[in-house]
Parts: sequence; structure tokens; C-alpha cells
Amino acid sequence: MKLFRSIRFNIILGAIIALLSALGTFLPQIETSPDKVEMYRSLHPFSFRILNFFGAFHLYQTWYFIALLGLMAFDIIVCKLWNQPPDLNATALPPENTNEEELEKHWAQREEALRLKPFQSSLDSSLGFDETFKRTKSFFKGQDYAVHDEVKTSSGAAFLATKHRMQRWGSYIAHIALVVILIGAGLKALYGFTEMVPVMEGETAAMKNRPWTLSVEKFTVHFYPKTFQPSLFSSVLRVKAGDELLGAKTIRVNHPLDIHGIRFYQASWGAAGMFRSATLNLDGTTLTLQQRVPKKIPGTPFAVEADVLMPDFTISDGRADTASLDLKNPAVRFLFTVAGKPTPPLWLFVLYPKVCLKENPDGTLEHAEVPPFSLVSVDPVLFSGIQVAYDPGYPWVIGGALLWVLGLILLFYLHRRRFWVLLERGENEKTKISIGAWSSKGGRDFEKEFARLTAEMKSRLSFNKMEA
Amino acid sequence: MSLELITIKMTLAVYSAATALSFVYLAYKDEKWNRWMLNLLGIGIALHLLSFAFRIHSFWQISENRYFLPINTFFGALSYLALAVCAIFFIIESRHRLGILGAFVLPWASLSLGVAVFVASPEISGLVPALQSYWINIHPMVLMSAYAAFGNAFGVGLALLVQEHQIKSRKPIALCYRLPSIEELDNLNYRIIAAAFPILTIGIIMGGVWAENAWGRFWGWDPKETWALITALVYAGYLHMRYLMGLRGKKAIYVSMVGFACVVFTFAGVNFLSELHGYLSKG
Repeated sequence: MKLFRSIRFNIILGAIIALLSALGTFLPQIETSPDKVEMYRSLHPFSFRILNFFGAFHLYQTWYFIALLGLMAFDIIVCKLWNQPPDLNATALPPENTNEEELEKHWAQREEALRLKPFQSSLDSSLGFDETFKRTKSFFKGQDYAVHDEVKTSSGAAFLATKHRMQRWGSYIAHIALVVILIGAGLKALYGFTEMVPVMEGETAAMKNRPWTLSVEKFTVHFYPKTFQPSLFSSVLRVKAGDELLGAKTIRVNHPLDIHGIRFYQASWGAAGMFRSATLNLDGTTLTLQQRVPKKIPGTPFAVEADVLMPDFTISDGRADTASLDLKNPAVRFLFTVAGKPTPPLWLFVLYPKVCLKENPDGTLEHAEVPPFSLVSVDPVLFSGIQVAYDPGYPWVIGGALLWVLGLILLFYLHRRRFWVLLERGENEKTKISIGAWSSKGGRDFEKEFARLTAEMKSRLSFNKMEA
Repeated sequence: MSLELITIKMTLAVYSAATALSFVYLAYKDEKWNRWMLNLLGIGIALHLLSFAFRIHSFWQISENRYFLPINTFFGALSYLALAVCAIFFIIESRHRLGILGAFVLPWASLSLGVAVFVASPEISGLVPALQSYWINIHPMVLMSAYAAFGNAFGVGLALLVQEHQIKSRKPIALCYRLPSIEELDNLNYRIIAAAFPILTIGIIMGGVWAENAWGRFWGWDPKETWALITALVYAGYLHMRYLMGLRGKKAIYVSMVGFACVVFTFAGVNFLSELHGYLSKG
């Protein structure tokens, strides 16, 4: 147990977690970039085998990484339960935990203990004991200090003045909050789920984790002018269990649908290769074609058919391919026939009207002369990528996060101060005031405040004396 | 040239002049140089805010961007970072009267704005749908304010290393008597980090809440998120070592500097690793 309570051990543990976390950012992770993991495997098969043996491509889900996080949570609990609070200077001093009888007995001890405080001062007052006691207390109250643990005896009196006592809980709250956050993460891992459901516009798809269906009645995407950069995309979504409608909403990014804690996000969209129409410009006249429906070009022996759409055209191994499902560089393949005889297919581009590629019988591409027609537009059938997520740990994570913030604010933004004040009855109505003080900020920061407060108290008492 | 670019270049010139004066003050410790430096810094901050206002005006010409702040690009982020570094230095100086530290802090603000002006593109474009959220006005600002505070702490740390080197050298130069004591610098470095650490973690949490709303998960081990966590872990380590193990002086500064290296990597380097946060590198 001593090892787990050791700060050094926990700092080393934190450093190991940080290093492993960093490693995971330099290697592609299967959960987020499966294609990059595949690429790594094909480019570096030897190192892939070694790294994969250690789970480096799904590092954050490996048993040892989760075990390290669990150990950290365990250590935090152990540290906070067994370790002493960090403010060792704030050990109890009479009058804390002391009754009047004890106080009389240990008066000498009390003076000795005061002398051990990081800041000390003493002053004399001629105001009389009761008046000095009353005014000293009211001085601290006037400085927003809470006065408590007050004891008055025949030989003197003592009290404790404190400010921002809550600060001591900051460290506990912040550390326990981390455990609450980890519990939330654990609940998600055990009982939560995330699944991506691509749904074509106007169609219905089934979920894996619930016997529910998702229908995208309408999918809308708006682009910034002259780009394929979307400015908005949204789906009119209906969620059903059998025939029962569970919920319906137009979802867009940042505006999900929530049904009993299961949330439906507009995560992505794309073109899978289907399109409603492609429009050609033929010397000033337009010809609109439906997918795989041949059409004669009026006044010519030619017929044309548009059959394939590549939303993000690229050339892979010399052949036509798509780099992604985003409409970044849409290209359509056209099949021409002259008097019934096919000619080599041509690829035309919406964004590059001066480019034309000819497809050979083996599928390879070569540049062709720019034909006297161009592709004006294409109306693709889009799919909506709906991410469905259930995270029963989320309220825990949020609660933990709020606690964490509260703990840190208490710990770092509050400045706890303690003043132990001891008043001794002297002769001729004189009172000796001894002050010991401690501050959570410690050192120099408190030095000025301590000097100011004691000087102010001195002048206040002497001023009052003059008044008296 | 747009008004925004004119004012941002003027801001860079003023920040550079303030930085130069901070070195003059470091060399001669004549109070008039400090006053001039602070006056210039105040003018620079005002110009910077004006430039930011011009940028907001241009940004809001695109209807989708309206009421969101233009810090979605590398240019916008660097510019805000420079502004925050200067503003935080101004606050620290007003509380501690340590203008002498300007020479250790202001170069980073000038560098940040210089990279924004000469390297990053100031072009304005429409926000992608994921960024069209009120969180863009809060989450990056909070995080970058914490980064700017850590930048100030880094400058203080550098001053401490210089001071320690001077004290240990056989022939300390006059600079040794101008810089604050090692204890004071160490304490200031700690106080800045202690004040910025909660802000950093609040920023990370805000990012998690936004990610939950936009992508359906609080935490996804995206490189940007992961490096922000690593930064927090390093600074948490620093605070524990200082608070509980009594680590002080040079060793504590080295740990805090590792934290700042993580800040720099989180801010700039990770954009080339992160697909979700990679938009920052496209500006």
C-alpha cells in the first residue's frame, strides 16, 4: 500500500500513461483510421507485426493501458484516504479540540505552539482585557475572517480566525472527481455503444444495437459558393420500433436527436456512386441523362449513357477510383455508341471541363482530346451518415468534470489563511496579544498580508486607546 | 490591403518595438524604457483588438459564420495567442511590477504574430458545420488563454535559468542584479501555472462536451485531445512535485518547460496528426 500512496510512484505512473498516450498519436489507430492502419501494414509489414503484437494500433483499448488507468484511479483513492492533507503546517493548536480545563493546564504549551507557526507577532494593548478581546475579534471579522474555537478563561483567552476554509477540500474534490470521470468512462465501455448507420435518402436502415429502424426522409446539403465544401447538412430523421414512431427530428451537426438517452447524430454524408442525373453541355444545348439510361444525341448518329459516378475521383494503379465518398472531385463515366458500335468510355469532370480521360479495355486511363461537350452538373443520390451513441456514463463524466473544476478552483484560486490569536491578562489592565499565522500559499505571498494585518491591528488598538 | 491586414501589421511592428525596448530595459534598467515598453504594449493590444474587430466584420460577411469568432484558422489562432500572451503579461506586470521579464515573454508574442502574418494565410472561409457552434467562441479561447499563460510562465522560467547561471558564475554581470531573485521567479512561475492549470482543464472539459454534442463522444483519443491531456498530465506532475515533494528552482523549471513543449506541440504540431482538429492547419 505504501508504494501506491507514494507521490513518486504516481508521478512515474502518470508519465508512463502520458508516453503511451503520445505513442498512440503517432501510430494510426484502428478505431479512427482503419485505412491508414492497412496502409501501414502494407508498407511496413515487419514493424507492423511487432507493433501489432503489443496492440499499438488499438493502444487505448489494450488491457495494459486500461489497467494503467485503473491503477491510477486506485492510487488516487488510496492516496486521498490514507495520506495526510498537504497542509502540514495547519496541525491543530489549542484552542482547537481543547476544553477550558485543558487550556489552563497547557497554557505554556500553547505559547510554545504559537511560536512554531510560520508567521508570528505580538503586541500590547492598554484597553483592558475584555475590550481588547472584543475588538481583536471584531477586527478579524471586519477583514472577512470567520472567528471560531473561542475560549475564555481567568488568565486569558484565545480564538482562531480563518478565511477560505473550503480550500482544503479542493485537492480531495479534484482527485475524487477524476475517479468519478473514470467510472463514467467505464460505464460507457461496459454498457454503452456507438454505431454508424449510413442511410440513403428516402430509404430505411436497421440498427445493430436496438431493434429500431432509421429512415432519412430527406437529406439536404448546402455548399459554400463555387466549392464542394459543405456549409450545412441535415437529415429529416424518423426512428421507429416496428410501426411505433419513437422520435422524429431534422438533425444536423451539433443538433442531435435524443430518444431515452440514445442520441442520433448527423455525423457524415457522402455519395456512394448513384446519381439521379448528369447534364452535358453540347455546344450550347444541354442534355440531361439518368444513370444507365442511354439517350440519343439529337441530330447525330451518337447515343450516350452515363453509368458510373466517382465522387472524389483519383487514379489508383492507373485505373479510375475514388479517394473518398465526399463530393470533392466528382467525375462521371460516359459510354458513347456510334450507330450501335461502342467507343472507349470517357471520364468527364464537373470541376475540370478541359480534362477528359479515355478508359482502355483493361481499365487503365489515358488522356484524351478535349471533346466538344462538357459535364455541367451531376445530381448525386447522397447517403446520410447517422452516428447512434448510447453513453450511460455521460452524466457521471459531466458530474465528475464539474466536481473537478470545483476542486481546482478551490485548490488554486482560494487562499486559506489561519490566525491563532492568544490574549493574556497582564497587570494594570494590560493585555498581551500573541499571534501565529499560516497560509496555504505560504512564504512571501502571505508575508505582506500578515505584516499589513498586524500593523493595522496595532494601529486600530492604539487608535482606540486614544479614543478611549 | 484590407484594414485588418494593415492593423495587424502595425500591431506586429508595435509588439516588436515593445520587445526591443524590453531588451533595452533589461540592459540598462532605466525606468523610462520600461514605461515606454508598457505604453507601446498597451497601444499594440489596442491595435490588435481593432484588427480583431475588422476580422470579425469580414468573417461575418459569410452568413454561416455570423456570431462566431474567427479563430478557426491557424492565422486566427496564432493572432489570438499573441494577444493573450501580451494581455496576460500586462496583468502580471501590473500586479508584480516585473517589467524586467518583458524580454523573456514578449518575444514569444511577437514570434506568434510574426508567424501568423508571414506564414499563415489570413484568408477567411466559411465554417464547416461542426464548427458552427457557440462552443467555438468559448472552448478554443479558454484553451489558448491557458496556453498564453503557460507561455508567460515559460518566459519566467527562462529568466530563472539565466539568473541561476549568473549567480553560479564566477563573474556575474550586472543583469544578475536586475533580475528578481530565484525564489521570486520560481514562485511566480508556480503561481502562473497554478492559475492557468484549472483554465486548461476547463478548456479540455468544454471540448469534451462539444465533442459529445457534435460527434457523439466525450473523449475519442483524437491526437489533439490526447496531447491536451498529456499537457495537463505534465503540468499536474509539476504541481504535485512542487507542492508535495518540495521541488524548486532549476529542476522545477525543467519540468514546467516540458509542459510548455507539450503546449507548443498541442497547439501547432498535432494539427498535422489530427483529422478532426486538422482544419486548424488549413488556414
